[in-house]
Amino acid sequence: MSANKNFDAIVIGAGIVGASSALALTNAGLRVLVLDRGAVASGTTGAGEGNILVSDKEPGPELTLALRSRDLWFELREDVGDSFELEAKGGVVVSRGDDRQLQEFADKQRFAGVDVRVVGDEELHELEPHLTRGVNSGILYPQDAQCQPMLAAAQFLKIVRQRGGEVRTSANVTNIFSAMGKVTGIETSVGKFSTPIVVNATGTWAGDIAKLAGTFLPIAPRKGFILVTAPMPQIINHKVYDSDYVANVASGEADLQTSTVVEGTRSGTILIGASRERIGFDGSMNIDVLRRLAAQATSLFPILRDVQLLRAYRGFRPYAPDHLPVIGEDSLISGLWHSAGHEGAGIGLAPGSARLIADQIIGAEPFMDPTPFSPGRFQAGAA
Amino acid sequence: MIQPNKSLTFTFNGESFGAIPGQTIAAALLQAERTTLRTTRFNDEPRSIFCGIGICWDCVVTVNGVSNQRSCLIEVSDGMVVKS
Amino acid sequence: MIAIIGAGPAGLAAAVTAAKKGEKVILIDSSTRLGGQYWRHLPSNWKQKRLPYFAEAQELFDQVLSSPLITWYSNAHVWQAEKKNEIFYLYVVKNGVEEVITAQKVILATGAYDRSLPFPGWTGPGVMTPGAAQAMLKTHGVLVGKKIVIAGTGPFLLPVATGLASAGAEIVALLEANKQWRWVFNVHGLLLNPSKIREGVYYLKKLRSLGISIQYGSTVTSFEAGIATIGKKEIACDVVAVGWGFVPELSLAGILGAKLSVQKDGTVVVDVDRNQETSIQGLFAAGESTGIGGSVLAIAEGEIAAGKGNRVTRWRAQVFAKGLQRVYPVSSGWLSSLNSEVTLCRCEEVKVSDIQSAIDELGAQDGRSAKLLTRAGMGLCQGRVCGRNVSEVVACHLSREVPDRERIASASRPLAGPISLGELGDGLGKKF
Repeated sequence: MSANKNFDAIVIGAGIVGASSALALTNAGLRVLVLDRGAVASGTTGAGEGNILVSDKEPGPELTLALRSRDLWFELREDVGDSFELEAKGGVVVSRGDDRQLQEFADKQRFAGVDVRVVGDEELHELEPHLTRGVNSGILYPQDAQCQPMLAAAQFLKIVRQRGGEVRTSANVTNIFSAMGKVTGIETSVGKFSTPIVVNATGTWAGDIAKLAGTFLPIAPRKGFILVTAPMPQIINHKVYDSDYVANVASGEADLQTSTVVEGTRSGTILIGASRERIGFDGSMNIDVLRRLAAQATSLFPILRDVQLLRAYRGFRPYAPDHLPVIGEDSLISGLWHSAGHEGAGIGLAPGSARLIADQIIGAEPFMDPTPFSPGRFQAGAA
Repeated sequence: MIQPNKSLTFTFNGESFGAIPGQTIAAALLQAERTTLRTTRFNDEPRSIFCGIGICWDCVVTVNGVSNQRSCLIEVSDGMVVKS
Repeated sequence: MIAIIGAGPAGLAAAVTAAKKGEKVILIDSSTRLGGQYWRHLPSNWKQKRLPYFAEAQELFDQVLSSPLITWYSNAHVWQAEKKNEIFYLYVVKNGVEEVITAQKVILATGAYDRSLPFPGWTGPGVMTPGAAQAMLKTHGVLVGKKIVIAGTGPFLLPVATGLASAGAEIVALLEANKQWRWVFNVHGLLLNPSKIREGVYYLKKLRSLGISIQYGSTVTSFEAGIATIGKKEIACDVVAVGWGFVPELSLAGILGAKLSVQKDGTVVVDVDRNQETSIQGLFAAGESTGIGGSVLAIAEGEIAAGKGNRVTRWRAQVFAKGLQRVYPVSSGWLSSLNSEVTLCRCEEVKVSDIQSAIDELGAQDGRSAKLLTRAGMGLCQGRVCGRNVSEVVACHLSREVPDRERIASASRPLAGPISLGELGDGLGKKF
């Protein structure tokens, strides 16, 4: 192969997962090239709310990753600068009916190290003065945070470039070369590059990239809608969830499910999200989903009734069959690393995932056992 | 120019104004030479009507407590409370 | 049933023609009055003006109001639409309730709005589009200022100037950015449309009688504290009305999936065949959304879209409209002289320099990524005012042309009109 350039590592995907990986590898001393077939943050990252959540995760490997990631986000702000609207606004999960389940869930989370506070009627309405009086208890998760994910990805990549890396956008990957089961390089629409390490951070499209390399990854798209309102003075202080959101995230049913997350942003718009559908890459607007999201949000916050809907957008969230992200080295091709399938949690989990990969690549002790995320769990017998 | 009776009254930022039935908020305020309808949320710049036909949303005001209403389209009704 | 969206010249003509053929029509319009932007709110004394096209307007109004087959659904706007199993579903907001209107055939007559270009001072009170000055005068008898500068390009500046001057404003300058000799590009259009010559002569005479002369080849370069800068001259005025032609309103066409295309001058239009049908079967378009062409063309297109119209009239008017594009081009000069401190997106207060640093520092490389990183075009107007300008600034900064797909993308948006969360969440009210 006649490569015109050599890199220590090549990251495919300039979304938040790719950008975080590139920054972690750059900071670990590697010379990194980042490739994207489109522009920076033009895929799932550009269609996300910027959730950095611990509140919706059950105790287990994903929560461990989420807790570490959440701290890393704030460390990244030290490293990169306060340029991506990172805010530790906190989450409030409310329940309209029996909240015993909610409390049990919270107790388990507390045991796993999550900062959890049960709030009663009075305090709840102090935290969120516009919340419907029909809700009288909730759980506060002070660690939940938010960022502007497109800015974060772009800022991370800016630092990568400043520290010697390269970013090539509008660069389509056409082949991934390997010899003797080891990655050797990559062919793209903008040329060939040689490298011993490729990081597949292509989210919903990670399965296609795996296929190019001659391996296998079962990542499927899940459609999510977000409603964006006209800008308002701040009326909602936290991320406020209806508790069935948590139940939905953990669910495996394929039909449409909606539940609400309502939150304000620094720009003044209010985001209403969390509809989830698993119906492939159908890009059409489902107006009924928008109606249901609006109804749920206004029943939680009646003040939103008079607020104009500004736009609605949809994004495809990548997910794996067991709803755990795929983070680690391919079991068939060494040097090929995957970081994909984060479902709706890619923004929040990106820095932790990046660190997990970087630690293993440079031979450092990873901060947690990476086995549960291993791509190998889907690859047995796939060759 | 035709000047029918300003039989309607409304307030804008607490001040009282008259309007002809059918007149929009922006038209009534402009007629009273009140050109600044609001200030912007980031840089606090004054804004007035721009497109005049509901496209640009630059003339938005709060009408009876509802924010982001286009003053160039909404007709004045008696007793309306308008704020920047 | 045929649903017609927009009650301007094209929509009115389509409604009347369809009703004459015995078809049931619902004519949906966001205003409380008929006429669209062009014919809306004619002053009560309009009949005294011997302009033939105003008589035509009144005739159409009368027919729409008297036809038992036409339901005029006023004060209602379509915010969303879809086509399922050969039926169009138009989701309409009227009086705070969302309703659905179903139709086998839809004619889009959604018109156009003024195109604006940024310049220092253009966000402040006093700067507006000629359309705004016109609407304020015609609708409410309100003069937007006492001393007015009118600038930009296109024949629309003339009726605005005569209208404002007749109502008592002092037109301190009327600036046409293009030179008069460019009419050589439309001699054939004039010969095919003698009424246009009469119309032009009418306005020129009128301007002369009002003591207004047109300055060709110049424009306003800034406006601050009551002073408009025109080249090296400074003129005191309280209003600057600037318009650079028109932008077709294509949100619904885009939502329904109709093929959009880009004209030579960068204007995005909806593609139609000889029957005015778009790429979506049963979806027709007429008037400015198929290309800026004025009311004569809009009426002809509306009639053809409804199934019976004069194709020769349409052809003549099309030739004239194409010629006009060459007489009144918008030079890309505004880009090279653009100050980086000028606000580009009025809603989100994004400056030219913000776009430039999104490209230089954050790796934005097309309009979409520049918008996502700066929020340009993501505010209340959803890029209707700045969308095209942002794309052109991005392309200019990257020394390339705006790709057609990007122009089309910035003419499209997910919502065709506003709806509140309460209206949306309440679900559908009564059905048609």
